Amino acid sequence: MLKELIKKLIGHKSSKNTAKKRLQFTLVYDKLEMNDNILNELQSDIINVISRYFKIDKKSLGLKVKHDKNMSALVFNTPILCVKREKA
Amino acid sequence: MEGRIIVVTSGKGGVGKTTATASIGAALAMEGNRVAVIDMDIGLRNLDVVLGLENRIVFNIVDVVNKKCKIRQAAIKDRRIENLFLIPASQSDNKDILSTSGIKRTAKTLKKEFDYIIMDSPAGIEKGFENSVVAADEAIVICTPDVSSIRDADRVIGLLYARSITPKIVVNRIIPKMVAKGDMLNHQDIMEILSVELIGLVPMDEQVVISTNIGLPLVMQNDSKAGQAFKRIARRLNGEIDLPIEIPISKTGIWNKISQKFGLTK
Ligand SMILES: Nc1ncnc2c1ncn2[C@@H]1O[C@H](COP(=O)(O)OP(=O)(O)OP(=O)(O)O)[C@@H](O)[C@H]1O
Ligand SMILES: [Mg+2]
Repeated sequence: MLKELIKKLIGHKSSKNTAKKRLQFTLVYDKLEMNDNILNELQSDIINVISRYFKIDKKSLGLKVKHDKNMSALVFNTPILCVKREKA
Repeated sequence: MEGRIIVVTSGKGGVGKTTATASIGAALAMEGNRVAVIDMDIGLRNLDVVLGLENRIVFNIVDVVNKKCKIRQAAIKDRRIENLFLIPASQSDNKDILSTSGIKRTAKTLKKEFDYIIMDSPAGIEKGFENSVVAADEAIVICTPDVSSIRDADRVIGLLYARSITPKIVVNRIIPKMVAKGDMLNHQDIMEILSVELIGLVPMDEQVVISTNIGLPLVMQNDSKAGQAFKRIARRLNGEIDLPIEIPISKTGIWNKISQKFGLTK
């Protein structure tokens, strides 16, 4: 906000700085974009690991990549049915 | 010693790959190297007209790769620049016609006969791009100072790294006046974003259009700023790694105007 104000007062906007910021974000997002195959593989790997410790409902779980303004997150959601007594 | 195969590529179309291939190839030949420039844009050839050699085409790169002729038969010798040869693309085929093994075999022979083999890649990252990089030892990625070109360059750089090629960057079509005003990304910005080695900065230059109009290699036009920039890129490729990279400046920029007033210009 302040930056914008200063720019307006000076009467000069440098469009290249906008370009640079947009590019830097875009390139990060471009690289984070994963195809469904990778996500599916990741999902089954995660299921295998978790199933060694917990009994889970394999049908009602979800894996998503969430993009926020400043970061990306991998969100994995699964209801745990019960804890396994011994590691399988 | 074996020749070096250098691919000129970009991802985005129309950023100056063909102009750069012709200019760098011609400049390397003027430095005394045996040079073959090869048009890998199968179906959309243009390197021939940019070099003014379109009337002399007999065979093309598809014929060479498919063993229909010898390299010697397809390579057109430039009569103005000694040691410069063009192997044109075929205009009627499509990009799938070349086999990887055929390209690799051809590349081996080319490396024995030439010091530099410059491949002009088509735009895009599909088969035509693959064909152009499959035998390459080195790569030059051309980009212009705009968002879409830099994004595409980044993508291509990733693909080249995956093939163990570390590319060098040429920024083309720089408009110094806009850079000075802060309305065009400067080369530091671009290098910060792409983080690969820079090998040259080429200004927007009307001479590029003129030289293409008349089919005379840009580097033969001494008053061309872009031509001079490409000559320096060639010298840098050719071993003068310490040659400084010149930053294009605007003749009508404020400092130039002031220094002109005070008689400070060279
Ligand atoms: N430095 C420059 N100054 C002015 N015009 C230029 C410059 N570089 C390239 N051009 C012009 O830009 C246009 C595109 O250039 P060129 O054909 O070399 O690009 P390309 O990347 O090979 O395109 P394509 O992707 O279609 O193969 C041409 O008209 C050329 O004359
Ligand atoms: Mg081209």
